[in-house]
Amino acid sequence: MTFLLAGGGGLLSFNTGFAIWILVSLIAFLFVMIKYAVPPIMRALQEREQNIKESLESAEQAIAKAEKISKDNEKALRDAEIKAQQIRKEAVEEAELIRSERISKAKEEAAHLIEQARASIEQEKNQALVELREEVAKLAVKSASIIIDAELDNAKNNKLVDNFLSDLTKN
Amino acid sequence: MVQTLRRVFLTLLFLSISTSNTFASEQDEAQVLDVMGTVADHNYFKVPGFINGGKIYLPRIFYWESAEGESKLSAYLSTKSVLESGEFVETEEGALVPANGGHIIVDLSITSHLIYFWMGMLLALVLTVMAAGRYKRGIGRTVEPQGAFQNMFEVLFVFIRDDVARDNIDHHKADRYVPFLFTMFMGISFMNLFGLLPWAATATADLTVTATLAFVTFVITQFSGTKDYWAHIFWFPGVPTWVRVILTPVEILGMFTKPFALAIRLFANMLSGKIMIIAILGLVFIFADLFGAGAAYGVGIFSVSLTVVLYALKAFVALLQAYIFTLLSAVFIGMAAEDHAHSEEGYYTEHSAEEVSAN
Repeated sequence: MTFLLAGGGGLLSFNTGFAIWILVSLIAFLFVMIKYAVPPIMRALQEREQNIKESLESAEQAIAKAEKISKDNEKALRDAEIKAQQIRKEAVEEAELIRSERISKAKEEAAHLIEQARASIEQEKNQALVELREEVAKLAVKSASIIIDAELDNAKNNKLVDNFLSDLTKN
Repeated sequence: MVQTLRRVFLTLLFLSISTSNTFASEQDEAQVLDVMGTVADHNYFKVPGFINGGKIYLPRIFYWESAEGESKLSAYLSTKSVLESGEFVETEEGALVPANGGHIIVDLSITSHLIYFWMGMLLALVLTVMAAGRYKRGIGRTVEPQGAFQNMFEVLFVFIRDDVARDNIDHHKADRYVPFLFTMFMGISFMNLFGLLPWAATATADLTVTATLAFVTFVITQFSGTKDYWAHIFWFPGVPTWVRVILTPVEILGMFTKPFALAIRLFANMLSGKIMIIAILGLVFIFADLFGAGAAYGVGIFSVSLTVVLYALKAFVALLQAYIFTLLSAVFIGMAAEDHAHSEEGYYTEHSAEEVSAN
């Protein structure tokens, strides 16, 4: 057991000189690693991770932007369609309005013409009646004179004429 | 039969605690099975037998005090040149002492474990510097990492950074400890794995090495301790004063048990694997000794196949223990560096309420 515990190469012994060597060289190795070897790797990995993160974020943003644009486009298209439809509808309505207006105007004009025709016909008729009366009166006078020639009974004549005239007016 | 079993048991017991010297005195030099010698530290570097007889002797450096009370630092190329210089003599146990009295204060000799420590750390450093060069050129920074080396390196590095450091240490502080944790992980991994090579020694199967590694973790932990951490050690918030009398020594003890456990865990795990392999392979020679060559061949099949399995297990354990050491270092640092203002508030009010109700 002395070998296990005693100094000078024993298994459980702590060798001071050796420990000094280990400590000094470990500190030297750690110094080089911490100062020169590892930081570039840390920085490079950090930079790469940052890059990847940023690229992913910017890609996401681009996708969102593209989606927004396409959505906007779609909306504009729909709006335009709705507007076109409205315009078409308005045009149809206007055309209808114009057509009905024109028809009513034509009807009115026609009615006016008919009225005018009717009025002139009435006028002509009245004129004709007046002329006819004069003619009839002349005829009556003529016929009366003829009768006078035959019979000079004025009283009887006047009665005859009046009867005749009233008959005429009746017809 | 009983006697045979007793002989086997005694031989195993003897093997496990004997040194090469005591064993060599009994048997031929060629048949020595030196268990402790394989795991212990040496002043030579073991190499295949055809080079310099299997050993390359390492320099010996002593800081010693002579009989006249003079302190001296002496360096020699090898143990042989120490003895040739005549200033030191070898004792019966194989230790070196100054020839004219006095004593060695610190033995600063280069040892095999130190060489393997340097090799492991240097390999970790070289690989990291190589990887850093690639990242500096832009590979892995602006484009994806290329090649098996960089990808494997990055897997390990990102693993240490994300799963070890950032998971256990407050996020805004974690990145500061990544270089330390990564160095520890890579260094210990390589030291552990070097132990699997033929002729090589496991530097981490040495208590001095693991204790020094744990000591560095301990120092870093204490230096990253927040006000809160120190308050918990010396003046535990929210408990009656008489409890603090018990708690403070326990907490102070806890400061030291954590790195102590780190050191012992790594040391014991690496040492046990090595001893187990040697012991199981040693059965072949014991059986050859006891029952002849036939039994040895029979046991050999069993021993070798078991050793192969153990080898695979050791390769896994080598990485696992490096990971555990690093993870626990991160956990300890995280516990010290944590500034848990919110939970502490709740804790404090909760406990002061208890105090009031107790009164």
